Amino acid sequence: MQSEPRNPTVVEKLRRHLISQEGVLFIIMLVSVLFLATRTDKFLTVDNLLQQGRFMTEVGLIAIPMTYIIITGGIDLSVGSILGLTAIVLGWSWQELGFPLELAIGAGILSGTLAGFVNGLFIVRVGVPPLIMTLATLALFRGLAEGISKARSARGYPEWFFELGQGEFLGIPTQLWLLIVAVVVFGIVLARTQLGRALYAIGNNETGARFSGLTVNRYLLLIYTFSGFMSGVAGYIFVSRVSTTRSDMGTGIELDVIAAVVLGGTSIFGGTGSVAGTMIGVVLIQLLKNGLALSGVTSDATIVVIGSVLIFAILVNNFIQTRRGGN
Amino acid sequence: MSDALLQMQGINKNFPGVQALKDAHFEVRRGEVHALIGENGAGKSTMIKIVSGVYQPDSGDIQLDGRAVHFVNPREAHLAGIATIYQELGLYPELSVAENIFMGHAPMKKRLGLQTIDWERMESGAEDLLAELNIHNLDVGAKVGTLNVGNRQRVEIAKALSLDAQILIMDEPTAALTESDVEQLFSIVRLLRERGVSIIYISHRLNEVFELADRVTVLRDGETIGTQQVTDTSEAELISMMVGRKIENLFPKQVAKIGDVVLELRNLNRPPLTRDISFSVRAGEIVGLAGLVGSGRSETAQVIFGVLPAESGEIIINGAPVKISRPSEAVAQGIGYVPEDRGHQGLIREMTIRENTSMAVLDTVSRNTFINRAQERSLANRSIKQLSIRATGPEQITNKLSGGNQQKVVVSKWLASEPSLLIMDEPTRGIDVGAKAEIHRLMSRLAAEQGLAILMISSELPEILAMSDRILVMREGRLVGEFSRDEATQETVAHAMMSEAARRAASAAS
Repeated sequence: MQSEPRNPTVVEKLRRHLISQEGVLFIIMLVSVLFLATRTDKFLTVDNLLQQGRFMTEVGLIAIPMTYIIITGGIDLSVGSILGLTAIVLGWSWQELGFPLELAIGAGILSGTLAGFVNGLFIVRVGVPPLIMTLATLALFRGLAEGISKARSARGYPEWFFELGQGEFLGIPTQLWLLIVAVVVFGIVLARTQLGRALYAIGNNETGARFSGLTVNRYLLLIYTFSGFMSGVAGYIFVSRVSTTRSDMGTGIELDVIAAVVLGGTSIFGGTGSVAGTMIGVVLIQLLKNGLALSGVTSDATIVVIGSVLIFAILVNNFIQTRRGGN
Repeated sequence: MSDALLQMQGINKNFPGVQALKDAHFEVRRGEVHALIGENGAGKSTMIKIVSGVYQPDSGDIQLDGRAVHFVNPREAHLAGIATIYQELGLYPELSVAENIFMGHAPMKKRLGLQTIDWERMESGAEDLLAELNIHNLDVGAKVGTLNVGNRQRVEIAKALSLDAQILIMDEPTAALTESDVEQLFSIVRLLRERGVSIIYISHRLNEVFELADRVTVLRDGETIGTQQVTDTSEAELISMMVGRKIENLFPKQVAKIGDVVLELRNLNRPPLTRDISFSVRAGEIVGLAGLVGSGRSETAQVIFGVLPAESGEIIINGAPVKISRPSEAVAQGIGYVPEDRGHQGLIREMTIRENTSMAVLDTVSRNTFINRAQERSLANRSIKQLSIRATGPEQITNKLSGGNQQKVVVSKWLASEPSLLIMDEPTRGIDVGAKAEIHRLMSRLAAEQGLAILMISSELPEILAMSDRILVMREGRLVGEFSRDEATQETVAHAMMSEAARRAASAAS
C-alpha cells in the first residue's frame, strides 16, 4: 500500500509548524507579551527586553545541556550547585591562592566541568539513577562551595571582568550574544548530528540503542560533563553580572531550568524535545516574571501565575498533540 | 443464518496511509470456537478491536444477537457480553486473584451503614468461578503478580466469565505458555464452548486451529478471504488463502559455496549459560543453533555481540583474534545481530524507518558527524524495496508496522552495515507465513550470493533443518552436538536437545 508522497502546500506547511509543540508555545508567548504590554508601558521597551535577556542568560545556557539530558530520559539536579561551586572556586583561587584572574576563571569552569564528569561517571559506570546521583551532588557540591568559601564573599574584581556580565556589544548585552551563539550551535548539533540522533535513540529505547552498536555510555558521560561545563560558564557570567562571589549562588536555578525545558515540549520521559522549544520556554518564563512584576503584581502572586501558565501550556499542547496523533 | 450471534458486514476502517479493513465481513455462531487467522497486518487486530469497542469502524453494520449495535468504547462492548483476553495481560499484579476477577463489580454489603466490599462473598465467588473452569489448585488470596503466565491467563478467563461474557476473544493466547499450560487452556476453551460461549481465537499456529476450532476465517490485506469448516479444509489451503499464492516450498534454501572461516570461537566462557563454547562459521554458511529455551543459545550470541562480554576464551574474526566487550566493538568487527526481542532490542519503535535503518551505519550516512538526510532516505527507500517492507514510506514510525515488517526493518538495519557475520535470533518468531518465507529466501540469498556467514538461532526444528548447512545443539550452556545437513533429522537433533534424564526416560519407554 504505497502512497506517493505529495509536496505539501505553503498553507499546510504553515499549519504544521503552528500546531507543532514549539508553535503552540510561541503563540502562548505572543499572547502573554501582548497582554502584559497593555498592563504597563514599561514592559514592551527595547531597554527592558534587553535587560531581561541579560537576566535569562544563565538559565538559558544551562537549559541547553538539560534539554540533551532530559531527552535521554535523565535529569541533572546539581546544576545550581555546580554554578555555585564554580563561582566560589573562581573567587577563592583568585583572592586566596593568588591566581591571575584569567587562570581563576579557567579553574572555576574546569571545576564545574569536572563536577559534571563525576555525575556522568557514577551514572554510567556504577549505574546510579541520574535523579539520585544528582540529588546527592546537589548537596555535595553546595557543601564543597560553602566549605571552600567559609562564608566569605570575594569582591573587588578589576573592571574588565565585568564586561561579560554587565557590558554591551553592538548595543546588546554581551552574555546574550554568547547565549544566541550557543543556542544556534547546540540546536543544530541536536537536530542534525550523530550525537543528537543518539540522544533521541537513547531516550526512546536505551537497550535498542545499545543493541544497534551506539556507544551509549560515552554519549551519556559526554552530556553530563557538558552540563557541568555550561553550569560553570553560567557561574562565571553570574559572578561577572553581580560583581561578587557567594556560595549560595544559583540556589534553586535547577527548577527554573527544568521548568523551561519541560515547558518547551521536552518529554520528561525522554525521546522528544528541541533546543528551540526550550528557549521559548526560557523566554516565556522570564517575560512573565518581569512583566507581572512591572504590572505591580506581588512576587507571591507572580509564582502562582507562572505555575498556572505552565500547566495551561502543557494541557493545551497535550490536547493538540493527541488530536493531531489521532486523526 | 439464524444461529449467528455476532454478524459484521461491510466493515471499513482507515488509518493514516493504510486501509486496515476493506468491506470485511465476519460471523460468529453461538457456542463455536471460531479461529481468525491471517498474516501480520492482515487486519485481525483491527477486526477484534472493533468487536471489543476499542476502535469504531468508518462504515459497516455490526449485529449482536440480531440487534444492531454500535460500541463507542470498550466498556459498552463489555456490558454487551464481549470480553477480550489480550496478549499483554490486563491484570493488576499487586492485587489478589479474587480482587482481579471482581475488579469493578465486587459484591458489596452494608456495614455500619456504609457500602463495603463483601470479602467472603468475593472469595467464594472467585473460587466458584474457577471451579467452573475445573481449576481447583489456585489460591484466590494470592497476589496475581506471583502467579505464572498460565495461571494469570486463567484468572483473566474467570474474570471474563464473572461478567457473563457470551463472546470471548483470545488474542494469541498460547504465545507465552508452556506445553502443559496450553493443554489446560485447550480444555478450558472446550468447556466454555459446551456452555454455549462463543470464542474468537486468534493464532499464528495452524495446528492449534485444527485442534481447537470449529470454523476458521481468513483475512488478507484487510479483506475477508473466506470462512471454512475446519473439517473441510487443510493446512495447505489455509496457507494459500493467507498468502494468496500456493506455497511450493516454505524454505527455499539455495546451495551456497562455503568459503573461509569468518567467525571462530575458542573455549568461550561466561557461565552459567555459555560454557567452553568452540565452533566456527564460514562465509556463505548458515549454521543453525538449536536447543531448548534456556539452553544458552541467545546468551552465547550476546557474548559474541558484546552485550554480555566473555569472561575467558577467544573470538577470532577472519583469522585475527579480537576483543569484544560492547556491541559497538562487535559492529566495528562486521558483526550484525538481529535480536530475539524485536520491540525492545531490535528496533527503536518510536522512531521512523529511516532512522532505524541508518542506526548502525550513522558514520556512513554522515559527513563530519552531520547526518545527511537525503542519503538516509535513499538508504531507507532501498531497504523498503529490497525487502518489500509494507509501509507508507521511509518516514513511517516503525511502531505502526506489522510484526513481519518490523522484523524486515531490523534486518535491513544490519544489511546496511554490510556485515561479514549476521547472527539471527529467532528471525521468524511471531511473524506470518508469507513474511517468514520472504525472510528465509533472503537469508538463503545473502549466504549464497554475498557469501554472508549466518548464525541462526531458532526454536522451530523444521526451520533449523531446512535452512542450516550445519546444525549445532546446546544444552545447559554447553555445546552438545553437531550435525551436518545430511545427518540431521528431527529425531537426531531433538534427541541431542534433551536432558540426560529425558533421554533415559525416552530410551526406557522404547
